[in-house]
Amino acid sequence: MPIVIDNSSPDHPFTRKPMAYAEAILIVLVSASLAFLLHRLMPHANLSLLFLTGVLIISARTGLGPSLVASVLSFLTFNFFFTPPFYTFDVADDGDVATLIFFLLMAAITGKLAARMHQEMLKRRLSLQRISNLYEFSRRMSSATDTEAVLDTLVDHFAHALDCPVAVYLPDSQGVATPRAGTALFAAPPAIDMTQAWVEGRSDPVTHGPWQLLPLIADREPVGLLAVHSEELEDEQLQLSRSLCDQAAIALHRTQLVADLEQARLVSETEQLRSALLSSVSHDLRTPLASIIGSTTSLLEYGDSFSSENRIELLKTVVEEAQRLDRHIQNLLDMTRLGQGTLSLRRDWVDLHDIVASAVERMRDPLEGWPLSIDIAADVPLLWVHGVLIEQALVNLLDNALRFSPADGRILLGAAYADGQVEIRLCDQGPGIPPGEREKIFDMFYTARQGDRGNRQGTGLGLAIVRGMIMAHGGSVTAGDGPDGHGTCMCIRLPVGQPEPGE
Amino acid sequence: MPQETILIVEDEAQIRKFLRISLEAHHYAVCEARLGEEGLALCAARPPDLIILDLGLPDLDGQQFIARLREWSPVPIIVLSVRADETDKVAALDAGANDYVTKPFGISELMARIRVVLRDARQPSASQRLFESQGLRVDLSQREVTIDDRPIHLTKKEYELLRLLIAAPGQVLTHQQILRTVWGPAQQEETHYLRVLVGQLRNKLGDDPAHPRFIITVQGVGYRLALPIALDDNVQGSDAN
Repeated sequence: MPIVIDNSSPDHPFTRKPMAYAEAILIVLVSASLAFLLHRLMPHANLSLLFLTGVLIISARTGLGPSLVASVLSFLTFNFFFTPPFYTFDVADDGDVATLIFFLLMAAITGKLAARMHQEMLKRRLSLQRISNLYEFSRRMSSATDTEAVLDTLVDHFAHALDCPVAVYLPDSQGVATPRAGTALFAAPPAIDMTQAWVEGRSDPVTHGPWQLLPLIADREPVGLLAVHSEELEDEQLQLSRSLCDQAAIALHRTQLVADLEQARLVSETEQLRSALLSSVSHDLRTPLASIIGSTTSLLEYGDSFSSENRIELLKTVVEEAQRLDRHIQNLLDMTRLGQGTLSLRRDWVDLHDIVASAVERMRDPLEGWPLSIDIAADVPLLWVHGVLIEQALVNLLDNALRFSPADGRILLGAAYADGQVEIRLCDQGPGIPPGEREKIFDMFYTARQGDRGNRQGTGLGLAIVRGMIMAHGGSVTAGDGPDGHGTCMCIRLPVGQPEPGE
Repeated sequence: MPQETILIVEDEAQIRKFLRISLEAHHYAVCEARLGEEGLALCAARPPDLIILDLGLPDLDGQQFIARLREWSPVPIIVLSVRADETDKVAALDAGANDYVTKPFGISELMARIRVVLRDARQPSASQRLFESQGLRVDLSQREVTIDDRPIHLTKKEYELLRLLIAAPGQVLTHQQILRTVWGPAQQEETHYLRVLVGQLRNKLGDDPAHPRFIITVQGVGYRLALPIALDDNVQGSDAN
């Protein structure tokens, strides 16, 4: 709620409202009429009480001016009509004179008292209004979550309270004052020297052309500057402005701290990811290299003394480890592309059968020894996808399933079509994933963070890549229970996209 | 049979070395070029029977090499490329390369490609009247197709597609190449026509799409007809697996 500052000073004794004076005249007329009705029934001195009542009513309702007018009018009316000699302003009895003087005196005193009480009440109401406005302002300030909200609230409040254009300046990264919010930015003062305004503005606002500059200071640190388009601020306005500015400065300080904290959190998370990546690179790239270098140097040095089976065994190790290295590098490349957001989808109509066949073909050697059954429902339509990426996702899922499958564990790859989505399920008979970890396994480096798990090496990138690639297609991937509650089922859901046009 | 010459255009000395050793063990004559310009000059001086071309040369872009060579020579080209992007492979194939192998590759894979391409260059399949492989028999003069002596009926487009794949058995054909030939140049972006047609043809040939016997998908690139077993006759011990 905006604060409205009443420009007419509250301790001015004479209100300028003509209605109040009309009311004063009216009440005297009413008192006179009543006195005419009653003057035969009571002594005329007591009739003065009637008029006094009228004056009291007026002074309670309005200010000193109307009550004085009422009392003078009452005195004259009483004197003219109800004191002998009647219908003159002469006074016959000295007692009547005394009555009249007392009467006038009391009218003046009570009028003054009532008027003062009235003004006190007005003041109270105004300051109550101000306090509640200030409270409302501070409530909005403390609930503001970002700098923009703080600035908007400040400008909004100021513009209403002072009824003049305001603008807020914050230092940019080089410390140059930059207008950030305001009612009238078009008329904002040019080139403000912030430091100077901060130093000089601590005691009195700095005048800059038609603008008054107020510093925003929190914790003895200047955080910004408020410019008010006003020739001069009165004491009360200045006081109000300062308290608004103080609150805004504290709120600004707070939102900046929050932003800094968020930034720090991001930096530390990036740091963590980077070190996880480094350890992944050094561990997962070096392990196969160690096997390769070990096997080949053995062959070079002692190959002559090895049996031919052993030689072939070592050479096979070299090939397998080199292929593993290639897969790791592919993963790192994919992750980089996903992470940089440079992954551009080249969608095309693709038969899911083809994707599955290619993925299975690429994993043919690792899959040896694990029975794989493929069951793709006949009604699965063509997919509008980037085939190579979906293939890579399936390869990674197969790789993951193999890593956790027991010897001879069955692997099922199924696909079905329902509700405009194709659901691809890959189930293994591995140990399964506890419900609490089913989301985390898609985080980057999750397995890497768990440390080595025997021979189940993994970069912790594979599943993160799966999710990245599927999500790029507007799909989803989740981990769930295996078919009989044993093992794991990975479930990819892909929207089918454009309807298949007729041939 | 006279010794066939293979030109290797590749800037990596290590790769040239193992290619030379393996190819010479298979009784091919080998010449090497480190740069694209060098390779083109060698081609002009002593035309090889086949070129193995690395797409990432220091001086010439692989596509440029193919385009310049194709201006005057039909000598078959097998492209070596890293996996990063399938569009490079498609571009190379569309520019006139006959097949590709992705780095890193096993030598047996490369040898199989070389044999397919050289055999086709020696006696073009397109000029043959009869094609037979794994129970599939296509009589091109009579337009008759049988599987295990059981005649099957193909639509005009299905037959066209099969004929196209048979014309270069074992070699990859890009989506665009097939679409251009079967549907015409106006339809060469309509890949879903092709997907549907391949599905129908596989169905009629009794091909399991998840383990195809005849039509193999090359993801993101195109299709190839499965290598007929008869081609492996001159495989020698070292690359049997």
